[in-house]
Amino acid sequence: MMSIRSLAGACLSAFAALSAFAVPASAQNYPTRTITMIVPFAAGGPTDVISRIVTAHMAQTLGQSIVIENVVGAGGTTATTRAARAANDGYTLVTGHMGTHAASVPLYPKLAYHPEKDFEPVALLAGTPILILARKDFPPKDLKEFVAYVKTNAEKVNAAHAGIGSVSHASCELLNSILDVKPVGVPFNGTGPAMNALVAGQVDYMCDQIVNAVPQINAGTIKAYAVATPERNPSLPNVPTTAEAGLPAFQAQAWNAIFAPKGTSPAIIATLNAAAIKALDEDNVRKRLLELGSVIPAPANRTPEALATLVKNEIAKWTPVLKPAT
Amino acid sequence: MELFANLAHGFAVAFSPINLLMCLIGALVGTLVGVLPGIGTIATVAMLLPITFGLPPVGALIMLAGIYYGAQYGGSTTSILVNIPGEATSVVTALDGHQMAKQGRAGPALAIAAIGSFFAGCVATVLIAVLGAPLTKLALAFGPAEYFSLMVLGLIFAVVLAKGSVLKAIAMIVFGLLLSMVGSDIETGASRMAFNIPELADGLGFATVAMGVFGFAEIIRNLDHGAEMDRNLVQQKITGLMPTKKDLADSTPAILRGTVLGSILGILPGGGAVIASFAAYTLEKKLARNPSRFGRGAIEGVAAPESANNAAAQTSFIPLLTLGIPPNAVMALMVGAMTIHGIVPGPQVMQKQPDLVWGMIASMWIGNLMLIIINLPLVGIWVRLLRVPYRLMFPSIVVFCAIGIYSVNNAPVDVVLAGAFGLVGYWLIKHDFEPAPLLLGMVLGPLMEENLRRALLISRGDWSVFLSRPLSAVLLAIAAGLLVLAVLPTLRAKRDEVFVESEG
Amino acid sequence: MSDTPSEAPVKSILPEWVRGPQDFVGGLAMMAVALFALWASSDLQGMHGFSFGAGTAPRMFAVLLLLLGGAVALMGILKDGPHIAAYSWRGPLFVSAAIVFFAVAIRPLGLVVSAFAAFLIAALGSHETRWLEAIIVGACLTLGCALLFPYVLGLPMPMFPRFLIQ
Repeated sequence: MMSIRSLAGACLSAFAALSAFAVPASAQNYPTRTITMIVPFAAGGPTDVISRIVTAHMAQTLGQSIVIENVVGAGGTTATTRAARAANDGYTLVTGHMGTHAASVPLYPKLAYHPEKDFEPVALLAGTPILILARKDFPPKDLKEFVAYVKTNAEKVNAAHAGIGSVSHASCELLNSILDVKPVGVPFNGTGPAMNALVAGQVDYMCDQIVNAVPQINAGTIKAYAVATPERNPSLPNVPTTAEAGLPAFQAQAWNAIFAPKGTSPAIIATLNAAAIKALDEDNVRKRLLELGSVIPAPANRTPEALATLVKNEIAKWTPVLKPAT
Repeated sequence: MELFANLAHGFAVAFSPINLLMCLIGALVGTLVGVLPGIGTIATVAMLLPITFGLPPVGALIMLAGIYYGAQYGGSTTSILVNIPGEATSVVTALDGHQMAKQGRAGPALAIAAIGSFFAGCVATVLIAVLGAPLTKLALAFGPAEYFSLMVLGLIFAVVLAKGSVLKAIAMIVFGLLLSMVGSDIETGASRMAFNIPELADGLGFATVAMGVFGFAEIIRNLDHGAEMDRNLVQQKITGLMPTKKDLADSTPAILRGTVLGSILGILPGGGAVIASFAAYTLEKKLARNPSRFGRGAIEGVAAPESANNAAAQTSFIPLLTLGIPPNAVMALMVGAMTIHGIVPGPQVMQKQPDLVWGMIASMWIGNLMLIIINLPLVGIWVRLLRVPYRLMFPSIVVFCAIGIYSVNNAPVDVVLAGAFGLVGYWLIKHDFEPAPLLLGMVLGPLMEENLRRALLISRGDWSVFLSRPLSAVLLAIAAGLLVLAVLPTLRAKRDEVFVESEG
Repeated sequence: MSDTPSEAPVKSILPEWVRGPQDFVGGLAMMAVALFALWASSDLQGMHGFSFGAGTAPRMFAVLLLLLGGAVALMGILKDGPHIAAYSWRGPLFVSAAIVFFAVAIRPLGLVVSAFAAFLIAALGSHETRWLEAIIVGACLTLGCALLFPYVLGLPMPMFPRFLIQ
């Protein structure tokens, strides 16, 4: 079954290559061949899964297949650098996220691209909310107690994160700067080991994306104090928002968005943006995104202009938080 | 007797035609990936993940799991035949496996690798089914302090890998440790010895260095004048394809010990199969009545690490299936495969997804059976490959290795780096430095440093944590004991003889 | 890997008192690597408080390697040992050239061209090579790789030169 699939895929791509050979690419009849979407994180992670769900539908709208290429390394900046240098013909796109297109600016002083100057924003996809999590026997019972406890025991508490430049690192730094505490940050290689340490009780708290935490919270192996979005999340209806729990300043989600290299023609951007919006409105796509606990942007936030504003605001938000850390 | 009901359910799931087919495809692709040098399981599972988008979740995971443990079978093949490890876990297999091939015993080496893997796979599968939940506690009990102490023990053990001078072996381990420091610092994110080369930002890949110092260096050395004789010898005196009764008798205890060691190390987060194979080899050499046989074609030196790496590959599923936490990169991709299908694994995955969990466990046993049925007849074909003239063989290996390394990260720089390490490896051979301890240093280095720093961060710089935590203290005590055993003879500069005395 | 083929000992350019040139030069080279690593990690932060800092571990290992390299070199002075084995230039040169060519060519020229050319360049490394045979085998291997890697294993690789596709 699989071999037939891949054989069919092979024929299709060969056909696509041939047809591309015949018709020179132009903005009028874009797209005429396979589009490559670079995803700066490993297959199976939140950014990858969201990209796959949305692009699968976009490919139907556009009538061309979209191939996902996972390029990992250096907090996603390796892949983003590659995308920044790619041809601006609309056939190489990148799924950027909170880390690659905002937090990277203060974190990597020698970054080879600038999120605003080297990219054309295309469309905001979906974001995964950040949760404040703690080991199950951590004394504080709710967020208010947590804030008080961390402030009085700042010397004693340990905060885990999934490595410098990861979403959990950046969001934890944001939380710490709002609370004005500097706990010891214990670095792990990825969310898996960090979660393992939290479940085992070796560290006290961490901030992480909702996806991997939901089953652990439901099983009672860890506890969640709050979700850092304006509304409660349907997958965790009992977890209050940071605003409800008394810490409205802490708002964070790992947003994901499509970007194209600088200079890609506005007509192509418009075509892609329309396809992305159509995908976000489709029932099956919505259902799958919500299953992941992710948040789908409101219609007003889906334009390229809105994305440009978001990037600008996010860079402004993360720069003061992450600058002293390096 | 819930267990039998669960297992029966699992086999019912695994024996459905589609799942059997998925299992077979996984086993075949895994064998192929294992045989091809450079191409690792992580890259392949990552690439095949999207294909599983359209498959039913149970079938998809059965296939991906098959690739992972199937690669443990295939990985030994090129190690034994051409001294090029197909997988990181087969590096130590090359030490004695290739020597056996040079003595015309490639057949028995390949066969014992398959038999050992099969036995270990079966035992580890039973272990997952019966003891999965209690063993989870081990994964949770292992904090940074314990992990650091285990790495210290591993380093002490590593000295035993040496065939010649202990001093030079230690120098190679330290060289490996130093190479592993290249990349980003885990705590501060500072770039270390990466010279602003973006491809070095995440460090030197294990596969890159291993392909260089083993693969390319071996090829270059074989092209030397005078090496032709050596090669022709290999081609002429191929004896039996299957192990003799004596081989089996020699290997049985090694397989048993390798299985136990591999099963335990597989559960621990992060380490897994690579360390298991190194540890099993060193254990065999330590226990052997005549350690000098190791590195010169001892069949235990193939049987033990191959059993260990397959056992570890199976038991590394335990934290995933019982806790929902991936212990290594391949398991993280498995989580990804589940996520794509809308299943997010957690501590309750066994209750919530019995089809998936028990179906996978049952399929592992079926998969191991398929793999041994696939691999034993292949032994004859592989051995025949040795008859291909080297003038045609070596350019083919160069091309396969180059494609393999490129495919890991789609990075041309990695290929050039592997070439450079090929020249380094050639130089090392010329100066009688062994590459195996170097690779072990590379594996252990980051684990040791990161866990040491984590432990000290958590304890606020208090070094006594390594002794106050019982598990860590025990590991360090064993390490200290071994160190005394290993250092004393070196001082007398007559290590081999004394080792025989103290052991025998 | 101690089974280096026995070759005619090269006339040593090292002074008389070096009794084991192989170890002596090997040790010196390890010391050079260690010094290089010390230099390369000199800009990194060291211990501060109970935190290790980025530079501590690399410098520690570099110093250790420096000492070990020194000890190996010392062994080369104190103990009789083998001479430095002869290096050949042909194998290393062409195998390296094949690898570098593949790395440079894979992106612009694709798998088919780079694999075939790398095969032939590597084949230059042996004086045993018969060209007709090498070209036939190289072509078959390239075809096999072109089917195996992208289709069976699903690895995304460019197949043909970029200028032909665009």
